[in-house]
Amino acid sequence: MSKRPPILQLKSLTKSFGTFNAVDGIDLDIAEGEFFTIVGPSGSGKTTLIRMLAGMEQASSGDIILSGTRINDLPANKRPTCMVFQSLALFPHRTVGENIEFPLKIKGVDPAQRKARALALLDQLRLPQNYYGKSVLRCSGGERQRVALARALAFDPKILFFDEPLSAIDYKLRKTLERELKDIHRETGKTFVYITHSLEEAMVMSDRIGVMCAGNLVQVGTPNEIYSAPKDKFVSEFMGDVNVIPVSMNGSRTITADTFDKTFTVAAIPEAFSKGHLVIRPEFVRFVTEAKEAENVLEGKLYNEYALGSRIQYQVRVGENVFIVEKLRQHSSTLRRDQTVLIGWDAKDSILVTG
Amino acid sequence: MTDRGRRALIWAWTLAVLVFLYLPALCILLASLTASRYFLFPIQKWGFDWWRKTFESLEIRQLFANSITIAFCVMVIAVVIAFFGALAFARYNWKGRTVFQKIVLLPIFFPQSVLGLALLLWFNAVGIQTSWMTAIFAHLVWIIPVVTLVISIQVYSFDPALEEAAFDLGASRWQVFREVTLPVLLPGIVSGAFFAFLLSWGNFPLSLFTTGADATIPKYLYAKMVAGYTPGVPVLGTVSTFGAALLLLGGYWLVTLRRRAQS
Amino acid sequence: MAAPHETGKGLSQGARNALPLILFMIIGFAAPLLAVIAYSFMPPRSFGLTHAPTLDNYADIFTSNSYISFGWSMLFAALTVALLALICYPIAYGMARLFGRWSPILTLLFTIPLFVSENVRLYGWILFLIKNGVLLGTLKSWFGIEPESILFTPGVVLLGMVYVYLPFMLFPMTLGVSMVPNETREAARDLGASRWQVFREVELPLSMPGIMIGLLLTFVLAVGAIAEAKVLGGQTIIPITHDIEIAFTYAQNWPLGAALAVLLMIVVGTLVMLVLKRFDLDAILGKR
Repeated sequence: MSKRPPILQLKSLTKSFGTFNAVDGIDLDIAEGEFFTIVGPSGSGKTTLIRMLAGMEQASSGDIILSGTRINDLPANKRPTCMVFQSLALFPHRTVGENIEFPLKIKGVDPAQRKARALALLDQLRLPQNYYGKSVLRCSGGERQRVALARALAFDPKILFFDEPLSAIDYKLRKTLERELKDIHRETGKTFVYITHSLEEAMVMSDRIGVMCAGNLVQVGTPNEIYSAPKDKFVSEFMGDVNVIPVSMNGSRTITADTFDKTFTVAAIPEAFSKGHLVIRPEFVRFVTEAKEAENVLEGKLYNEYALGSRIQYQVRVGENVFIVEKLRQHSSTLRRDQTVLIGWDAKDSILVTG
Repeated sequence: MTDRGRRALIWAWTLAVLVFLYLPALCILLASLTASRYFLFPIQKWGFDWWRKTFESLEIRQLFANSITIAFCVMVIAVVIAFFGALAFARYNWKGRTVFQKIVLLPIFFPQSVLGLALLLWFNAVGIQTSWMTAIFAHLVWIIPVVTLVISIQVYSFDPALEEAAFDLGASRWQVFREVTLPVLLPGIVSGAFFAFLLSWGNFPLSLFTTGADATIPKYLYAKMVAGYTPGVPVLGTVSTFGAALLLLGGYWLVTLRRRAQS
Repeated sequence: MAAPHETGKGLSQGARNALPLILFMIIGFAAPLLAVIAYSFMPPRSFGLTHAPTLDNYADIFTSNSYISFGWSMLFAALTVALLALICYPIAYGMARLFGRWSPILTLLFTIPLFVSENVRLYGWILFLIKNGVLLGTLKSWFGIEPESILFTPGVVLLGMVYVYLPFMLFPMTLGVSMVPNETREAARDLGASRWQVFREVELPLSMPGIMIGLLLTFVLAVGAIAEAKVLGGQTIIPITHDIEIAFTYAQNWPLGAALAVLLMIVVGTLVMLVLKRFDLDAILGKR
């Protein structure tokens, strides 16, 4: 956790539509200069949350505190924050330069200074200077992205909000822009609050991540914490392909699967745990030849295999249950479909979650 | 049938229908260029005499003034009301929206001659003398909905995030409106204005019952047509046809130029 | 304008924008129609609204031969709509699918006549069809034949109506046809449908909203047509609108005219309501 003072504090922030709470009492501190990402599936309330923070939705209850001041009742145009929209919302009737200068024009900055600032921002965002007079309609996806960011930076906000701005961009360019955004974050030292449905995207860029589900923040932590110690089934499944088995406590280090007859050994059982889920990441599951090679071993049939670049993922069926196993690609794979295989993992690699 | 054959057939049919559409205009043009009192085809003697005589007539000048005044007033009022109407029609999600949309369409789907008579009755019932001013009102009843639809089509493609972005960047409500909403919707507003002006200029069924003692060009022409042949009729007919065509083609040309300049 | 806070106070943003238009329609559309309805219950040949209501005008209509005019209007409107559907569909299809960069300029060419008053355009047909006019004059001087003019016959009235209302059918239809995603046609073809099957199973149902609006619009306008019969038809056909106009003008019997107008409004209104109820305007006009 960061020791810097919080720039933004949310206190039981709630947004209700009728009886439905889209955002359900969120408490959160975001530190100055932090890159904080809120990640959640669609409908989890993350867009409503960021729109409240930016001032585009009115909070139903709770507080939004910016640098010690409650800003709930400030409209968006009076808040010293700025948002990069999902659609980017570049003004189609304006040039790149006019778009970037827009907040300066509103503030009444004189034209010469405006232009100098716009050119400096073009430079900072790796856009050529001659783009100043170009129509935004003629810019490519990546360029438009940078113009939108430049326009937000021209406003010189205390906090920059991002509402999934990369969601419509193809994979390869998205990867580049993610890194660029993190570089810009480093260069400007500003606080970034980012929203996405992709945990992968969140992992790449963020200092801290908040996982959101049904209007609540389920877990907040560094990317590493979220990855290695997911708090519940939802978070662990949201992380990507994992093996999740509903289990109940059996002994001091043993648990029993609820849906089939098998007992597993784990490193430790958390206090107050009686029922929950056993989570094992596919990269920790391996093929074994003998039962004694791993602490937990299951026998199953290989159903299919999927190439994932440097790794290969296998689907193994154990009775009614499906397990996934990942291993690094090797030149000679001896595994065949419908072959009977033994899979296993060690107690230290299993995670127990209550939810 | 081959694709090419089908294509050619559809093209031929379309062009034939266009000829059908413009044939009467051509006949009117020819008639206006006849020098004799009566129209006989093939034309024996050509000349601009009737054009000159028509435009020297004070009555006709008054008609032009009437028609233009009415069309201009209709345009201004219709565009203002329809602009906000279009925002309600296509931009905001509000409770009464679907009902409002049907209300807007209703006058368009209504026989204009009956509407004209209904308005005549209404003016009479509330004691208003019909004149060019009541004609403006009558035209608006039909034209505001049309213009609302025209502007709505532009509003549908408007991204509300643009307004939010401007607001978020510190603009006041008025600045958002002036700097973003209005300029982005301008093409729709301009075409709405064209529609309003031209529809009013060419309207006959509403003007017939609601202009009172004042006359517009379509109403005057109708009176002359029913009364018998005057060569002034083809002249004015030609003017109104070509006027509309020039205005529209000019507008289209401007739009294309603007689009070219942008890209 | 930007909606920073949708507060619950007062009217919603949308309602506030709709207000001027709604107010105008109340005094400019709803009130006149109510006035017509009120007049239709006044005693024949009265001019005020202060008399005791009566059903005399409606009784008059059902005992007179106004139903003939009604019949003519309905018949001609139906024929106009049917002809226009056949004439416009290939053009709409071409506009939406084949003409490409030509379609804006073609659209423009089809639009221009909309802005010229219908009587002027119909007058052109008189000049074309009249004895010694463009058609007959040419035939006479080139081929020496002198057929009778077809002017002032019911057929010409129909021609005039088809001619005047063509754009009103064409544009909604084009909108409808362009609503059909190309992939669905290709998918249907790919799944083995013949051209005719593609048309029946995919093209037609998907473009139906636009087509229905075109049919409805032209029908309503054609029922209310007045200039065609007057300018081109001589007195061979008396449409209902003519009866209404006569009642209001020469006959000076406003209540009778109002009653006729009410009957026409009922027919048209029912039809419009039935059709419009079924369509989602947002989908037709292109909401994202």
